[in-house]
Amino acid sequence: MAVSRKSASQDASNDRQLLSPDFMARLEQLEIVSRRIHASRMKGERRSKRKGESAEFADYRNYVIGDDIRHIDWNIYARLDRLFLKLFLEEEELSVSVLLDLSGSMETGEPAKSRYAKRVAAALAYIGLCNYNRVNLYLYNESVFGRLAGLRGRRMVGQMVRFLEDAPVGGKSHMAAAAKQFALRHTTKGVCLLISDFLDKGGFQEALRYLVGRQLDIYALQVLSPQEVEPDLAGDLKLVDCEDDDMAEITVSRPLLDRYKSNLQSYCEAIRSYCSQRGAVYYLARSDSSFESLVLTYLRHRGLVK
Amino acid sequence: MSLLSWTTAAIVGGIAVPLLLLLYFLKLRRQERKVSSTLLWKKAVQDLQVNSPFQKLRRNLLLLLQMIVLAALLFAIADPVARFMRRPEKNIVLLLDRSASMKTRESADATRMDAAREAALDFIRSLPGESRAMVIAFSDKPEIACSFTHDKRRLEQAIERIEPVDGPSRIGEALQLAVAYSSNLNDGSGAAATDAAQQGAADLELFSDGRIADAEEQSVTKGNMRFYRIGEAADNVGIVAFDIRREIDRPGVLTVFARVQNFGPSPVTTDVSLSLDGKLLTGSGTVQEVALGPAESGREGSAGAGGGTADPAAPREEQLPDARNVLFELGHEQAGTIEVKLHREDAMMVDNRVAAPIDPPRELRVLLVTDRAPVEYYVTRAVRSFDVQQVDTLTPARYEAIEEAKLTAEGRSAYDLVILDRHDTDRLPPGNYLFLGGLPKVDGVARGDEVTGTPIVYANEAHPLIRSVNYEAMFVSKWHKLKLPGHAQSLIEGESSPIMVMLTDPGHRYVITTFDVLESDLLISYAFPVFVFNSLGYLAGGGTIETNRMIQPGATITLTVPPGATTARVRRPDGQIDEVPVADRGTASYARTSDTGLYRVTYDDSARTVEPFAVNLLDAVESHIAPNESFEVGSQKVASISGEIRINQPLWPYAIAAAIAFLLLEWWIYNRRVMV
Repeated sequence: MAVSRKSASQDASNDRQLLSPDFMARLEQLEIVSRRIHASRMKGERRSKRKGESAEFADYRNYVIGDDIRHIDWNIYARLDRLFLKLFLEEEELSVSVLLDLSGSMETGEPAKSRYAKRVAAALAYIGLCNYNRVNLYLYNESVFGRLAGLRGRRMVGQMVRFLEDAPVGGKSHMAAAAKQFALRHTTKGVCLLISDFLDKGGFQEALRYLVGRQLDIYALQVLSPQEVEPDLAGDLKLVDCEDDDMAEITVSRPLLDRYKSNLQSYCEAIRSYCSQRGAVYYLARSDSSFESLVLTYLRHRGLVK
Repeated sequence: MSLLSWTTAAIVGGIAVPLLLLLYFLKLRRQERKVSSTLLWKKAVQDLQVNSPFQKLRRNLLLLLQMIVLAALLFAIADPVARFMRRPEKNIVLLLDRSASMKTRESADATRMDAAREAALDFIRSLPGESRAMVIAFSDKPEIACSFTHDKRRLEQAIERIEPVDGPSRIGEALQLAVAYSSNLNDGSGAAATDAAQQGAADLELFSDGRIADAEEQSVTKGNMRFYRIGEAADNVGIVAFDIRREIDRPGVLTVFARVQNFGPSPVTTDVSLSLDGKLLTGSGTVQEVALGPAESGREGSAGAGGGTADPAAPREEQLPDARNVLFELGHEQAGTIEVKLHREDAMMVDNRVAAPIDPPRELRVLLVTDRAPVEYYVTRAVRSFDVQQVDTLTPARYEAIEEAKLTAEGRSAYDLVILDRHDTDRLPPGNYLFLGGLPKVDGVARGDEVTGTPIVYANEAHPLIRSVNYEAMFVSKWHKLKLPGHAQSLIEGESSPIMVMLTDPGHRYVITTFDVLESDLLISYAFPVFVFNSLGYLAGGGTIETNRMIQPGATITLTVPPGATTARVRRPDGQIDEVPVADRGTASYARTSDTGLYRVTYDDSARTVEPFAVNLLDAVESHIAPNESFEVGSQKVASISGEIRINQPLWPYAIAAAIAFLLLEWWIYNRRVMV
């Protein structure tokens, strides 16, 4: 679950831009992997598992009535007097959607979770654009408040980066409402990356149910700040929720800290469990961990990119 | 152990404990901290139930410590004491000795009186609530500091006001007062008084060093007496006797006599000095060194050890007597004040100096009233043999007829001594009279039956008039019984009635012989010149200092007021001035003589006559300061209850110390964040 933090200092030098040229060059080698067969309306550069109409031969099968006779291999018919259909691999486009939580809670932490989340989103979007995937970016807090959909091709990188750079952070978080909006609006199947801290008082289950229901290839990335993982609090405190100004009065003690950490661990484990039971993939990252390492190594190992 | 102020503690506790709890809940000035979400924190808090007040109380060590600190402070406020003695009876009379010996310094900052006050206060604080007590302070006279009351505050204030005086310690009147007040409890109008009275006579609680002169003469018939021995110090050297004389034949020479006694357990050597009008004299013999043995040696001082110096033949301390007489000779023909002082710091300083005013030597004038030639011959001859300036003789008839101006001067008799031979008279201006066979016509004096043929059986040889008079060889054929006032002092006694008496009235001293001198061999005996010498010295003041101008503390002095004066003003040693009204017959009585020192008397206008008199302790009982383990009241031995003065051991300092310790512990824990 933990992510290496050895390249954190390198990230720090590139803080001012979401993606550095060096990192972009390394991302170009990658592509996003979908574990499902998607019927895309548009052909893409991606070699699909689906049999289609590309130039690349895939297989033969017996002719059945109704098949397109243009695909009959007449050479085999001549030799064997039997009708076989020649199958070619379909080249289709992949829909890559990033559902990015930019509620007020994402602005907290040192370094801020929102910045880390934007970088991951930018990196994945960049990979998608480089591979002619259809890239969709959704920003949400209480609802989806920003959308940049249908990006395709490398020439859209600048627009994508500006969109993310300029995206405001704040407001309350309502993941379920945002996921519902996304699910209603985004009918295309594909890969969906949900980036959030999952600290939503409405719960995460409903949101994931909306996404799972769309039969998307779901990746859930939970970003937590180091202050959330290892609180450095002491004394008598009034904790104020940055989103809804809800308050919790605590007297920090060793048992309380232990209890908090235990609860956090249980919460993360609950998300992981929920995701794995529904075919989704769950990641946890700390905002002080190396963002490049996350994308190039960790996500690669977990099969989101290859 | 008991709590003396538990109600106070309960009230304070009732306010303070809820206040502490309230403050505890309100005291948290929580620091605000923005967090991404309170979701997990609230859940953690709920899990621990730390928001529950009682959970906080149960788990918070600091609150526990604060509660302990508060409890300790409340305990201290309740004034806890450890009680070591049994509870006293319900009616208590506290007798506090405030005599001179209670001025003994027991430590650098506390006298024996301080210790007695402290012990009495402790006793009062330990009294059960239903007890009632009264406080009597006594030296030679008792004084009710506080009558019977339940109010401990009043009793404590009364005890705190008691100050020691320089007087001797005499408990008789104090006991009578205590018994009278205890008996009168029945007469109280309130029911409480009756209830208290039913519980029997009051118990007497005596706080003293046990040096009480008249203890054996008293008896305690009601209630019990408990004696709390006060003090430890024993080191004291004091002057116990003092006299100044001018010799009749050498009136310009003063002989000063002082007896110095060591009451301490160790031998001491001290200087004794003589001062005149406050200036230390520097002549030969005016400062003498006296070596004294310890008081426990049991030896009596050598009463006539003249010169005042230690015997060189007694080099070892244990051979020294514990008392010595010191004699000084001083040529001085004016008035002044003579002071003898011990140059030694000891526990009791009030007996380290004595003083007396002296008058210039007087040229004596004697009037003889007689119409009998033998008497005139022998008396005139005897008187003239001493340094008497003027001897006048009048017949009784002439005495009665002579004009007043020739008999009186400034309201007093113009003669230092008037000798009346077989003449009863009421013409008696203030002065000194020697009646030979006659009587002064004053109240209470009357002639009775004639007595013959009985021998002389007793003479008060210690009296200055009889000193060295060979009365045993004197023959008196007959004399008269006399009816006399109770204060008349018998000088020579026959078998059934006095032969010579002395009577003192304000302004008058009468010496009365109840026989006709021609019916005795007095005039022709060797005793007569001695008797005349004594009379001139004692009555006329020739050659001796008037003893009535040197008194003991607490004694009443009678002042002879000049004619026309209406008020006597007495300036005390501490500078205060008392105004004394002049009574009938030109006298004024003054009794506020509780402090030793020189008192100066003026009349109306202070520029006129100044008559000093001195108050000196001169009391061996008081100077013997070592406290008695026990003493006897009548035949009943009263032992001290304990060497320790304290009845209750206050515990509040320990409670305060515990509170401070717990406070420091809490502070340490808070800073170390242990279990915070």
